Amino acid sequence: MARPAPSDDAVIRATDLAKTYRTPFRRKKVEALRGVSFAVGKGEVFGFLGPNGAGKTTTIRLLMGLCSITAGSASILGQPVPSREARQRLGFLPEQPYFYDYLDVVELLDLGGRLFGIAAAERRRRGDRLIERVGLRHARGLALKKFSKGMMQRAGLAMALINDPDLVVLDEPMSGLDPVGRKEVRDLILELRDQGKTVFFSSHILSDVEQISDRVAIVVGGKIQDVGRPRELVGHAPLGTEVLLHLTAAGDVTAGAAAPADALAAATAAITARADKVRAERDELLAVLGPGADVDDFLAFARGHGGKVVSVTPRYETLEDLFLRRVEAARAPAAREAAS
Amino acid sequence: MIGRLWAIALNTFREAARIRVLYGILVLVVGANLLAIVLGEMSIHEQARVARDIGLAGISLFGALTAIFLGVFLLFSEVQRRTIYAIISKPIARAEFVVGKYLGMALVLSVLVALFAVAMALLLASQGVAVSAAVGKAVVLAWCEVLTVAAIAVFFSSFSSPFLSGIFALALFVIGRVTPDLRNAAAGADAPWIRTVARTTLEIVPDLHLFAVSGRAVDGEHVTVHGDFVSWGYVASAAGHGLLWIAALLVLSCVIFQRREFV
Repeated sequence: MARPAPSDDAVIRATDLAKTYRTPFRRKKVEALRGVSFAVGKGEVFGFLGPNGAGKTTTIRLLMGLCSITAGSASILGQPVPSREARQRLGFLPEQPYFYDYLDVVELLDLGGRLFGIAAAERRRRGDRLIERVGLRHARGLALKKFSKGMMQRAGLAMALINDPDLVVLDEPMSGLDPVGRKEVRDLILELRDQGKTVFFSSHILSDVEQISDRVAIVVGGKIQDVGRPRELVGHAPLGTEVLLHLTAAGDVTAGAAAPADALAAATAAITARADKVRAERDELLAVLGPGADVDDFLAFARGHGGKVVSVTPRYETLEDLFLRRVEAARAPAAREAAS
Repeated sequence: MIGRLWAIALNTFREAARIRVLYGILVLVVGANLLAIVLGEMSIHEQARVARDIGLAGISLFGALTAIFLGVFLLFSEVQRRTIYAIISKPIARAEFVVGKYLGMALVLSVLVALFAVAMALLLASQGVAVSAAVGKAVVLAWCEVLTVAAIAVFFSSFSSPFLSGIFALALFVIGRVTPDLRNAAAGADAPWIRTVARTTLEIVPDLHLFAVSGRAVDGEHVTVHGDFVSWGYVASAAGHGLLWIAALLVLSCVIFQRREFV
């Protein structure tokens, strides 16, 4: 069961946060969040992970005061949500941001700066620096309606940082970006952490979350399933070992096969029988051994059948494994209910 | 607070200034004034009267329609296009956002009314018709009416779809213009329910007739923009009436908008 980190100076604290709303016409009750609790410490990069419809964006909208909290409580920078004082010190990038398409990025940042009460000269200075930082110098005078999705995302990031915030909340910041853009956003998040800022971001791109998050929360079906450091969450017990072999046409001595092709096929068959799972491609074979397997014995056997060991990799649970397990577990009761 | 209101108002002004329909409306108003001159030429000794009447009617009607269009469209589009998420997550109260939007619209409408008036004055001058103080007062009254109609549209837009908001605002504009007839109905209709409906309507609808009095009686005196017109005192009083309605409608809009859920 997920519990908030025992931190008294939490930058974000959500306690049993719940959100229920009704559908527009049928007035059907929908429980978007069901008792979400977590805490984000100062200077942390906190990844909020979940499949589509899990409640990530709803949580962020509650924290940002865009909709009301049905039950529970939340505080940001020590202020109960919603708080104008807290908003003065935070930057927010909405999911799939859309801005006034008749403005250019300079005007957009000027608008953002005005709303924070930043003086004109400082607005210009910060705007120029951020435009440079997010790589939009070439698009300074271009109307936002001509921006690509990735450029819009960058403009949104710049706007989220115009007030030099202590806390940055990013809803799916990598969404719509190409690999280079994603890398740049990851670098930017790490740069913000190095500056002592706290970053809370949601994503369903597991590799991104795993790479840059100090801690993560996994939310599925409106409930937090896990909170913790990625390495602590996934555990240390190996799931098994992957052995990559190069099979030579020297033949399978024990099988006594005559033709090289037959020898290769015989060696593949023999090794396959010893492994839990294999994937063969031409003269290469990837064998997956279970957690209790005797790897040395397997390697000796493979070598004896003409296999040349290319690599041996112990396999641990990844965040993706954990994530998928949590999603399946959360969905199983609903699936059983539907089937019965 | 002033800085935030100005930021929203300026942004709204920039947004509205890029709406091409407004330039079309400006062309229509100039066209209406040209039509007035043509019709005036066709009348005998009534050129000035026709030109002034049609010119002022153009300002009032097109101004009100533009106010409804902007009031309904500008607030709704913020929610529909989700541009509002990036704004109200900043340290700005929702009430400041609504009032800022209104002030931006008021700025655009003021510029438009000024342009309408300048177009009318130039065309009148080209026909040798002097622009009297009465015309000036009538333009100020029309301007007050336009700003009141914009507040009506913003109020409906704070909780309703653009289509319904447009219908409601238009209905209130029409009803607000026929308050003398409603007063007659409230006082002298045979059926009691008609009297009740008329009385209730008069209570809840802004009296827009106050802003379009040319050719009607005011305090028992017949006033016309072509002759004896209302005093500046009357104009100030009507403006005050409009201002009270604007304030009340904006307060209601802010209360409603404060409770809106952006899920």
